Amino acid sequence: MAVNQRVKSEIWVFAEQRQGELVDVGLELLGKALELAHPAGWKVASVLVGHASEKALCEQLLSFGADEVIVADHPLLRSYCSQSYAKILGKLIREYDPKVFLLGATAMGSDLGARLAVRLRTGLSAHCIGLELSPEKKLLAVVPGWGGNVLARIYSPHTQPQMATVMPGVFNMPQEKEATGRIVPVDVDLNPEDVTYKILEVKREAGQEHALEKAEVIIAGGWGIGSREDWQSVEDLASALHGMVGATRPPVDEGWAKENQMIGQSGRTVHPKLYIGIGISGEMHHMVGIQNADFIIAVNRDPEADIFKMCDLGVVGDFKEILPGLIEEIREKLQK
Amino acid sequence: MDFKLSEREELLRKSMREFAEKEIPPRMEAMEETGEFPVELLKKMGDVGILGVITPQEYGGTGMGNLARIIILEEMGRVCPAIPMALQVHHMATYALTKFGNEEQKKKYLPPLAKGETMGVMAVTDPSGGSDVAGIKTSAKLEGDVYILNGRKCFITNSHFSDFWVVVARTGEGGRGLSAFIVEKNFPGAKPGRKENKVGLRGANTGELVFQNCPVPKANLLGHEGEGMNIAIQDIVEAGRPGMASVALGILNAVLEQAVKFANERSLYGKPINTLQAIQWHIADIYADLEISRLLVYRVGWMRDNNIRCDTESALAKQFACEAAARSARKAIEIHGSYGVMKEYPVQRLLRDALVTIPAGGTGEIAKLVMARHALNMFK
Amino acid sequence: MRIIVCLKPVPDPKHWSRLALDPKTGTLIRGGIPSIVNPLDRKALEAALQLREKEGGEVITLSMAPPSAMPVLREGLAMGADLSIFLTDLAFAGSDALATSYIMGTAIRKLARYDLILCGDQTLDGSTSLVSAQIAEFLGIPNLMHVSAIEVQKSGVFHVRSRIEHGSMLVEMKAPLVLSVAKEINEPRYITLMNILEGEKKEIRVWSSKDLSLSEPWVGLKGSPSQMADLFIREAKRKGEILQGDPSEMTKTLADRLHRMGYC
Repeated sequence: MAVNQRVKSEIWVFAEQRQGELVDVGLELLGKALELAHPAGWKVASVLVGHASEKALCEQLLSFGADEVIVADHPLLRSYCSQSYAKILGKLIREYDPKVFLLGATAMGSDLGARLAVRLRTGLSAHCIGLELSPEKKLLAVVPGWGGNVLARIYSPHTQPQMATVMPGVFNMPQEKEATGRIVPVDVDLNPEDVTYKILEVKREAGQEHALEKAEVIIAGGWGIGSREDWQSVEDLASALHGMVGATRPPVDEGWAKENQMIGQSGRTVHPKLYIGIGISGEMHHMVGIQNADFIIAVNRDPEADIFKMCDLGVVGDFKEILPGLIEEIREKLQK
Repeated sequence: MDFKLSEREELLRKSMREFAEKEIPPRMEAMEETGEFPVELLKKMGDVGILGVITPQEYGGTGMGNLARIIILEEMGRVCPAIPMALQVHHMATYALTKFGNEEQKKKYLPPLAKGETMGVMAVTDPSGGSDVAGIKTSAKLEGDVYILNGRKCFITNSHFSDFWVVVARTGEGGRGLSAFIVEKNFPGAKPGRKENKVGLRGANTGELVFQNCPVPKANLLGHEGEGMNIAIQDIVEAGRPGMASVALGILNAVLEQAVKFANERSLYGKPINTLQAIQWHIADIYADLEISRLLVYRVGWMRDNNIRCDTESALAKQFACEAAARSARKAIEIHGSYGVMKEYPVQRLLRDALVTIPAGGTGEIAKLVMARHALNMFK
Repeated sequence: MRIIVCLKPVPDPKHWSRLALDPKTGTLIRGGIPSIVNPLDRKALEAALQLREKEGGEVITLSMAPPSAMPVLREGLAMGADLSIFLTDLAFAGSDALATSYIMGTAIRKLARYDLILCGDQTLDGSTSLVSAQIAEFLGIPNLMHVSAIEVQKSGVFHVRSRIEHGSMLVEMKAPLVLSVAKEINEPRYITLMNILEGEKKEIRVWSSKDLSLSEPWVGLKGSPSQMADLFIREAKRKGEILQGDPSEMTKTLADRLHRMGYC
């Protein structure tokens, strides 16, 4: 067992891994944390919890700029279990008292973050779409407010660590560079009883779950599409432009689109180069998911639709009168 | 005076709306096309309790009452008015059986109606009758232990979807010569006749019932011999007219929603048409018609639940709400401009539906006679 | 089996345009907007009712809300819950997720015996999705989120399917435990007229802070570690060019723009 060195970092970022691979959001957060920490004279640690695959992952985290990589390695940590993970991390955080602890708003991060916040009796801002550090070095987490264009900055002024889970895809991946940080292995004291459930089976779903986050072109449809039949034209435009299909909540509820196509606060956060929203009114819950798109085009027959205030190019018209011709024109141009 | 719906009624409305919005729309295209009631919905409606809302609990219903029934019909009608048309006649049969049936009849015929095993039918109108109830010619002659029925009933809702019908037939002379019977479809000589092809309320079947030397056991006489007129009138006044008024109320709900939606979406002269006064007046008229109709119809429900006679109020609610539905649907069409007469927009259907409510359950003129008779006696 | 279902009354989304935020507290001004049962919580209740139908036992709903939310609790009882516990107290107002979980966890402790606690994955209003895991942590019992199927394997042992990023996993868990359910778990039943009448006969038990042994300070707005620093309006930094007019003209322009941007 390693002898514990002191951990010096003020901001800790949970480096989520699944099946021996780092999940992107852990790296995105590392990049953002470095950006916040260094001007404030702070350091950033990535926290890696698991078993056996750690060496390569540590190298990777260091190459993405982590000042420290805290490694908690134990056979009982091989699979994620919220209670065993929370126990280990809770103990570490109590021992080293970091100012800020960040996680991805993934299935694992949301669950683990929630538990840790209780264990440490501190506040947690969930599903954030932005992070700031105030001059007083308080973490301000940006969360979308109710409807409208309002965003709220949430913080926990009196408790520590200040915690947040951040939507995947909000921040960009950091640049790789020469590693200068160090690896800090820590003791893990765990009993089999701490692992309170047994994973019997992990099923991978066909299709690329993350593709939407990585897509360069996204065509999204909303309630205004009106029917399953008309939804086809959204799919057709996407295929003409070699893009992917996204949706707001209502088409998912109606069954026109799949759950994993939902973009927005409770869905995915995307950052395509081109986003085309069709029949989408521009509710904040959806718009927060596309705020990082380079170029937003909106097609809606209601000239008052909010999306027209948040787009680069707005087309006021009925998609039924526009899409068929557009698809044809695009195909023609591509053939040339 | 309390105009607030109870917690029970609010929850009823909410759950009925959910049922209607989920179950009915997928079936509406076929209903409009074929004119046929979606029979498979009957069992579901039975399970949810829609069919047994006025059926006493001991016969498989909830006995929730007349106002509850009106709320149900309104919510169904908001989505598709043909559904409450069929339901309201179903309830009329239930009402007549509950009020005039003997214990055996109630035990035998009410539970299958409440469960949705079959639909209810109230057959009063003859080709020679209608508003003139006493003009009924369908005859029932007592021969030994059976009445022999001969004749035809026309414009009968649910005619082809029911296993038994409440039928009013002539057993003697004049107004006191009418009697009501429960006639089962499998009695010899009884059968549904032609199916009508209506312009509106498509999906609520209307057709004929034909009786050719059909023997009906004495045990199937509803109430007493000679009580037929009374049964028919009470059923029409206390269940039929409030029922028709509720269908119209449902239409008015849909009309206002469609009109407002369109007025908010459609732009002319560079701004939404909801900013135009001409449009606003139409909207205000429709809104007023809806609200007045609702007050009138709910009042009748409340009166029945408190066992207060409501002949005039029922006639008023029926006449006003049905007329209001028709004129409001027309106004909604005007708000829509040419879109209003296109089949893709529901307002044209709502007008057709509203027109069908006007003669059903007593024409407007008959309702006005009732009101006039009442008013002319007020200051004596 | 004794199942507790956390049922949150939320403002009806049909009236969200009337919602406002109190800029001082960051809490919601509901202004007479009717409440509905949070849709995913209804699914949690449906899951509980299905388990009760198979395994027998009792379903208790637990809600924390202002007194005006009473009809929503009645709806839970009409759906089939046996008892409703209603935590309502001015002192609870403004509770963040930690405080909410603490209060609800304390109430669950008071109920003493329970096998399963069910929640919806998220609520329409808060969307923080924290409360289920936080209740579990306060109670020191296991939890799982994004649950799409629950099966009782043998007494006290559950097989639970849960959605994760790349698909799903099947997990064996022991009672007592907390599960939060995902959209796909079921379609809640209709409330029948008979249900409405039966629901009226059932008890809504009201507990205020006095009825709970709240020894820690995490209660209400003041006891919530998370606070709102400020609200701000997102700056529009988009170009906001709008095309209007003839559809075929606009189609051409649009195709042309996409072409110039290199997409076709």
